[in-house]
Amino acid sequence: MSEAPLLEARDLRKTYHLGKVGVPVLRGADFRMKRGEWVAILGSSGSGKSTLLHLLGLLDEPDADSGGVWFEGAPVAGLRGAARNRYRNLSVGFVFQFYHLLPELTVLENAMLPCSVARGLVAPGGADEVAHRRTRELLDAFGMSHRLAHRPRELSGGERQRVAIARALANEPRVLLADEPTGNLDAKTGGEILDMIAKLHGKGLSIAMVTHDPAVAARADRVVRLTDGRVDG
Amino acid sequence: MYPAQLANRYLTSRIIPLIAVGAVALCVALVVIVVSVMSGFLNMLKSSGRTLMGDVVINYPVRGLPWYDELIAEIGKLPEAEAATPLIDTYGLVRMPYPPGADKEVVTANVWGIEPRGFERVTDFSRSLYWKPPKDEAAAASMAPDDPRRVLAPQIEADGRSLRQFGTDIPGLVMGIHVSIVNERMRDGSYRTRSGWFMPDQRVTLTLVPISGKGTVAEPTERIFPVVNEFRSGVYQIDKNRVLIPLEEAQRMLRLDEGLQYDLDAPPNADGSQPVLGKSPARVHRVLVRAKPGVTPATLRDAVQDAYARFAMAAAADPAKVVKPPRPEVVSILTWEQHLRDLIGPVEKEREMMRILFSIVYLVCAGLVLSIFWAIVQEKSRDIGILRSIGASRPGVLWIFLQYGLVIGATGGVVGIGLGWLVIDNINAIHETIGEDAPRWTWILAFVLSVGALVMSLRGAHRGALLPTLLWLVGGVTMGLAGAGLLAHRGTLIWDPAVYYFSTIPNKVDWFTAALTWVGAVVFSVLGASVPAAKAADIDPVRALRYE
Ligand SMILES: Nc1ncnc2c1ncn2[C@@H]1O[C@H](COP(=O)(O)OP(=O)(O)OP(=O)(O)O)[C@@H](O)[C@H]1O
Ligand SMILES: [Mg+2]
Repeated sequence: MSEAPLLEARDLRKTYHLGKVGVPVLRGADFRMKRGEWVAILGSSGSGKSTLLHLLGLLDEPDADSGGVWFEGAPVAGLRGAARNRYRNLSVGFVFQFYHLLPELTVLENAMLPCSVARGLVAPGGADEVAHRRTRELLDAFGMSHRLAHRPRELSGGERQRVAIARALANEPRVLLADEPTGNLDAKTGGEILDMIAKLHGKGLSIAMVTHDPAVAARADRVVRLTDGRVDG
Repeated sequence: MYPAQLANRYLTSRIIPLIAVGAVALCVALVVIVVSVMSGFLNMLKSSGRTLMGDVVINYPVRGLPWYDELIAEIGKLPEAEAATPLIDTYGLVRMPYPPGADKEVVTANVWGIEPRGFERVTDFSRSLYWKPPKDEAAAASMAPDDPRRVLAPQIEADGRSLRQFGTDIPGLVMGIHVSIVNERMRDGSYRTRSGWFMPDQRVTLTLVPISGKGTVAEPTERIFPVVNEFRSGVYQIDKNRVLIPLEEAQRMLRLDEGLQYDLDAPPNADGSQPVLGKSPARVHRVLVRAKPGVTPATLRDAVQDAYARFAMAAAADPAKVVKPPRPEVVSILTWEQHLRDLIGPVEKEREMMRILFSIVYLVCAGLVLSIFWAIVQEKSRDIGILRSIGASRPGVLWIFLQYGLVIGATGGVVGIGLGWLVIDNINAIHETIGEDAPRWTWILAFVLSVGALVMSLRGAHRGALLPTLLWLVGGVTMGLAGAGLLAHRGTLIWDPAVYYFSTIPNKVDWFTAALTWVGAVVFSVLGASVPAAKAADIDPVRALRYE
C-alpha cells in the first residue's frame, strides 16, 4: 500500500456566474502530489490554473456538486472557521501572481505577518522570538536582509516576490502553492526566483506551481496540464 | 499582535486618518454648538419667565382687584405657596432728561407698581439690578478699568431694592437697562454710559392715565421720579420697555388707592356732595405668586384658584365690604407660561424648528462619518483579502478596523468638543465681530496673500508643474474672494436682540450633550469602519482580492 498523497483533489468543479450565465472553469479536475514533490500545473491563460490553486489553498469555495480536497489524507474542503484559518495559516503557504503585500507594513513585518496571525490563532503570546529569527533567516537567504525596514512600494517586482515567498514560508508550511511566481518578472529575475525555489525544493519543500510557460514548468519534477477544466498527465 | 499593529499603521502612515479626524471633529463641534446654544436658549426662557413674574399670576386688569391684602393672606395659608405680592401693570410715558435743550425725548413704557419687599420674595428681582458696586477686590479686578460700576457707592443697590432715594427717602424709579438710549453694551456684556449720561443720577417725568370704573379715560397724572437704579432681565422686550415704581405711587397716580365710595344714585347732601356708601379699597391689577420648592406651577395654580374662590365668597358674604371682588370666573389665574404665551409662542415655534434642523444636522453628521469610514475601509478590502488568505480570523480582521474607528472617533470627538467649546465660549464676541465692518488689515492681508499665491501659480505654470499651479491658483482665487468679501462686508447682526427675545446668545457648553455627542461620534465611527470591514471579511479572500 502506497503512502497517502500530501495534497489531493478529486473531481473539483468551479463555475463562475456572470449574471445568469454560468461559466464553468473547472469541470472535474483531479490533482495529487506526493510529499517532497515539485509539480508544475501548466495551462494557457484563462484555463483555470489560479482557480485550481485557490481551491487547493481553501481561498475559494468550489461548486456544491464538486469533489473535495485532502491534505495528508484528511478531507479539508469542508473545514470552517478556525480550522480553515489554521489550514491557510500553517499547512500551506500561498504565493500570488501579484505579490499582494500590505503597503503599510515593512518588508520584515509583511514576512512575519503569518506568524503574528498564528499567535492569535493558536498560542496567544507564543514564541515571537523564534518566528522573528526564522523570518529574518528566510529574508537573509533571499538576499533581502538590507531591505528589512523598507515598504513594498520601494521594492522591485523581483524583490517583492521574494518577500511574498518568505511570507508564504514563515510558518514552515508543508506545501508551497505558487501562482505564476515569475509571471510578472523578466527572464533573468524570474530565473533567480526559480533558482531560489529550486533550492527550497532541494531542502525538501513540496511545491505546487502554476505557470503558462513550458520552460518554467520544465524546472519541476513533474508537469500536469490543465485543459478544458480538467487535468491530464 | 497584528490587529493592533495594523490599526496603528493605518492610523499613522497616511493623511486620510487626519482628514477623518477633522471631519468627525467638525461634525461634533457643529452638534455641540447648535445644541448648547439651543438648550441655553431654552433654559434662559424657562428661568427668565419665572424670575420675572413668579409661578402663577392672578390677573384682573384695568379696574383692579379690591381687598387684595386679604387675598394674599388667603394665599399665604396655602402649603404650595411661598410668597405672593400685589402688582400694578399699566402703560405710561417717560420723559427723559436728554437731549440737552427743551425738546426732551419721550418713550412709552410698561409701568409696574410693586411692593419692593414682597416683589423680591416672589421674583428675586434684586438679582437683575445692574448697578451694583463690586462685592470684593476680586470682583473689582475682573471689571474693565473704565467700567462705571467700579466707582459706585454701595447704597445704589439698596436704593434699587427699596425704590427709595437714599437720604431724601423720595420714591424712586428703576428702569430696564435699554429703556434709555444712554447705556451702551460692550462685548463682555457690561455697559458704558454714553457721554456721561448716568441714569441713576437723573430724574425722569412719568405720566400715567387713570381709567375710571366705567372704562373712560380720566385726566393724566404726572410725577417726577429720581432714577435710583436700572435692571437687566436678559429679555430684551422687557429691558427695553419696563419701569418699576413703588406700588402706592402707582395706585395714587392711577386713582386706584383707597378712597371713599359715594352713592351716586342717592340725592345729594345739603352741601352738594354725594352721600358716602363706605370705604373704597385700594386695588391692584395682579397678584404674583411663587411656588414652594418642588411645587409645579400647575399645582400651585389649582390651589390658588381654590383660594381665590374662598376669598371671593367670604368677601361677598361680608356686609362691611360695599365693594365686592370680581367673581372667580372673570379673573384669570394662570401659570407664568400660560400668561406669557404671546411672548413664548413664537419662541416655541423657533424651538421646534431648531429641533427639526438639529435632527437633520445630527443625521447628516452621522451619515458623513459613516460614509468616510466606509470609503476608507472599502479601499482596504484588498488588505482584508490578503489577511484572510494567510489565515487571519474574521474577528481579528474586524478588530483592526474597530480600533481604527475607535481611535479616530474618540480623537475627533475630543477635538470637536474642544472646538465647540472655543466657539461657544466666544460666541458673543464672534457675533459682535461679524456685526461690524471688517478691519482694514484683514482684507489687505487677504489681497496680499492672494497676489502671492497667484505669483506662485505662475511660477508653477512656468516650470510646467500642473499640481502646484492648480493648488496655488485655487488658493489665490480663494484669498482674493475672501478679501473682496471682507472689503464688501458690512456689519450684520444675526442675533438681533430686538427680534430674538434675549439680548445675548447663551454661551455655556451643554456638557451632557457634548458627552453624548462624543459617544455618538465613537459609535458611528466604529460602525462606519466595522460594517464594511465585516462585509469584506465575510467573503472569500479571493473575491476580496479581486476588488481592484
Ligand atoms: N470571480 C470571477 N468571476 C467571473 N469569472 C472569473 C472569476 N475569476 C476567474 N474567472 C474566469 O475564470 C477563468 C479562469 O480564471 P483563472 O484566473 O483561474 O485563469 P488562469 O488560468 O489563472 O489565467 P491566467 O494565466 O491569465 O492567470 C477566466 O476566464 C476568468 O475570466
Ligand atoms: Mg492566474
